[in-house]
Amino acid sequence: MVYDLIVIGGGPAGYLGAIRASSEGLKTLLIESKSLGGVCLNEGCIPTKTLLNSAKIYDKARYGKRYGVIADDIILDHKAVLKRKDKAVRLLVSGVKSQLKNSNVDIAEGFGKILGKKDEGYVVKTDEDTFIGKMVLIATGSNPIVPSIPGIDEAIKQNIVLTNREILALSQIPETLVIVGGGIIGLEMASYFNSAGSKVMVIEMLDHVGGNIDREISKILMKNYEQKGIDFKLNSKVVAIDGNKVFYESDGKRFSTDAEKILISVGRKPNISELSLENIGVEVINGAAKTDETGKTNVPGVYAAGDVNGYSMLAHTAYREAEVCVNNMLGKKDVMRYHAVPSVIYTDPEVASVGETEESARSKGIEYGATSVSMRYSGRYVAENDGGDGICKVLIDKRHGKIIGVHMIGNSSSEIIYGAALMIEAEMRVRDIKELIFPHPTVSEILREAMFTL
Amino acid sequence: MATIVKMPKVGLSEESAIISRWHMKKGDVVKKGETLFTIETDKSAFDIEAEADGTILEIFFDEGDEVRVLTDVCIIGEHGEDITDLMPKQQDSEERPETEERKDEQLIETTDNCQDIDVLSESKQTDIESDARIKISPRAKRLAEKSGIDPRSIVGTGPQGRIIERNIINFMEKGPVFTPAALSEHQEKEERLYITSGSGIGGRVTTKDLAQIQSQVEEEIEDFEEVPLSNIRKIIARNMLESLANTAQLTIHTSFDATEVLSYREKIKNNRESSELNNITINDIILYAVSRTLMKHKSLNAHMLKDKLLIYNDVNLGVAVDTDRGLMVPTVFKANRMSLNEISEVVKGLVDDCRRGAINPDLLKGGTFTVTNLGSLGVEAFTPILNPPQVAILGVNSITYKVKPIDGDFKYYPAMGLSLTFDHRAVDGAPAARFLKELANNLENFTLLLAK
Repeated sequence: MVYDLIVIGGGPAGYLGAIRASSEGLKTLLIESKSLGGVCLNEGCIPTKTLLNSAKIYDKARYGKRYGVIADDIILDHKAVLKRKDKAVRLLVSGVKSQLKNSNVDIAEGFGKILGKKDEGYVVKTDEDTFIGKMVLIATGSNPIVPSIPGIDEAIKQNIVLTNREILALSQIPETLVIVGGGIIGLEMASYFNSAGSKVMVIEMLDHVGGNIDREISKILMKNYEQKGIDFKLNSKVVAIDGNKVFYESDGKRFSTDAEKILISVGRKPNISELSLENIGVEVINGAAKTDETGKTNVPGVYAAGDVNGYSMLAHTAYREAEVCVNNMLGKKDVMRYHAVPSVIYTDPEVASVGETEESARSKGIEYGATSVSMRYSGRYVAENDGGDGICKVLIDKRHGKIIGVHMIGNSSSEIIYGAALMIEAEMRVRDIKELIFPHPTVSEILREAMFTL
Repeated sequence: MATIVKMPKVGLSEESAIISRWHMKKGDVVKKGETLFTIETDKSAFDIEAEADGTILEIFFDEGDEVRVLTDVCIIGEHGEDITDLMPKQQDSEERPETEERKDEQLIETTDNCQDIDVLSESKQTDIESDARIKISPRAKRLAEKSGIDPRSIVGTGPQGRIIERNIINFMEKGPVFTPAALSEHQEKEERLYITSGSGIGGRVTTKDLAQIQSQVEEEIEDFEEVPLSNIRKIIARNMLESLANTAQLTIHTSFDATEVLSYREKIKNNRESSELNNITINDIILYAVSRTLMKHKSLNAHMLKDKLLIYNDVNLGVAVDTDRGLMVPTVFKANRMSLNEISEVVKGLVDDCRRGAINPDLLKGGTFTVTNLGSLGVEAFTPILNPPQVAILGVNSITYKVKPIDGDFKYYPAMGLSLTFDHRAVDGAPAARFLKELANNLENFTLLLAK
């Protein structure tokens, strides 16, 4: 039979795209080689959040004294944490599966490869079967980059060097953990293992952690973590790994440190090499499937969404990209906009941001104004975050007086940031936002406070 | 006693005028002779002065409003005076059937501003207050209010951008919806951009969309440069159009063997110093031949007037000259009485004067026949436009090479093209062709013509 759409990859972009397409009447097949839900559900967003939540509860209990709650003999049972994580993942994966079934999406297990094009459509093959689809959605996601560092291959074999996949399955908390790369994944793992009792060192090549986040917030986050005992080596580069020894260079000097485990979190690369995209001539740029703002590749009927297109590499971006692709398959006008994609670091404190940072606004030549207010303006924040030093920074485009960026550090930021994304998408001006009513007392009121300082 | 200030009738044909500026506002005290407001018509602007002392009790129209003549514009009276009787009567449009309402709206949208003004006066006091002043018809306003639509989100298509009911209906049906920032930017623009839908959330028009459209518009503008017409261009434009519009001109073409002309010119060129002759050009030679040939074909050396033909006994040759400022046609008077050398000298002087911009205007008229030469630019045939009231103009073309049979063989020869445009009202085809044939013959045997 000929499918209207074959989706290759069952992660956020793949499963959501398949559900949307099928419910709009497209006969849809989803091909997944491992486990539905992709990296996000199985070895990314969701498992890390269950771990971090356990760490948060543990820390609250341990440091409850300042809130007048005293508890002794607090134990973080890592095995129980993992068990709960696995349960959560299973629940969500089976949820995705039943959603796909309910939407009448056919599911094929196996690694989908594109063989070519026939009159009826594109031929996609797994080990067992061959399928034909009039359209294809490439949603094969991404893989952690493993840099070529001398000694790294041996260390991988010895199970010393791990990626996000293996570290989530560690049955024991390592005594020492070196994290190579202080981006979002590195920081979240640093956060958990630090709470769980590891001695953690983060080695970062850049002069700041957190990737593209606001520099001021990056500093606050790092300070918080240094206070918790995490060791940061900025402007430092790992040059060699020898078993449990990590060698790194900083300021032209060579250092070494011992590590029971080493986490590599320097970035991710799209999964396209084994897909045989060349059989139908899909253009690849910087190792990613090249798409336009409608999710189309250069080949008619072939779309790509999620990490595989290399744009944003976030699950929530993938959701929206998949929807844009499906809408365009159905002939509905829809375009992908990347200027209001929120991003969150689920550390404690949480960091959330959306839109332009001062750095990006400056490089784009936007005439911007910025305000930064202390989270302590929020009563709720003060009530719940003893000694908290969070901030909320708001950037406006001076020409229109509209919001172009919001950056927050402080707990609950992750749940607030969508509101800021909405303001940016809707191009609301400061004066418009001033008319909004925020619930009191909530941390979200900090946004309202910020407006009145602009 | 309050006085009503009406929109004056400033010209016989003025139906309405636009209030371009208010110098007073409601509540201001005015003295007789002080300027109340300025109005603009299609042709001019006037200040309207107060004709009595008093306080401005009510203003019915805003700046930018177009107001029908003799309509009440404002009321001047004593402070606190009751002016209820002077206020415009409320018009009960609610009862009008829907179809007629639509018709009204359409009228407003197309031409009939007066309709609009009538309804506007009714709505004046309740005009929506906002930071951006909104022009909206009362019906549109009522519908917007009923539907919970903020009229600030709507671009009006009525006169001067006024929002009309149809805009609200369109808006409800399909948008476009602007984001707040895009809307305020759009409203600041003097010229409204035509936008059907945006790329923002839910198809909203964003500032990025506006910037894109703006840059497209700018790109289009960059493709040309606006140059105001010089006087000479305006005159040329008018003359050319009138010529084509008012005559029955057509063009016939021929060519002649230029061997002799070319060799004659060569000869002069080679003997210039010894012969003390001017630098005689091919064009001079053609002018000479034309001036002589025309004497035998006087019907072409003529002016066509409304009901008569003026046939001239002397040939006043117009010579088309290409200058930086445009085409100029100075006249070689009585060319038929001049030698070739004289013609050459006169033409050279005229051309220089034209190019320097120092030509005596008297020398730009009086021609009885014109010669225009595009041959040096490689033109092989063209249709010169008559210079009325002259009845003919000769176009001189470039030399091409042709063959002709001679003694059972073929011979290449340089053929120069001639294009004669004539006014068929004055001359028929055959006489015109006969002139052209003789001209060609004279040029082919130029030395014989010189001997005559």
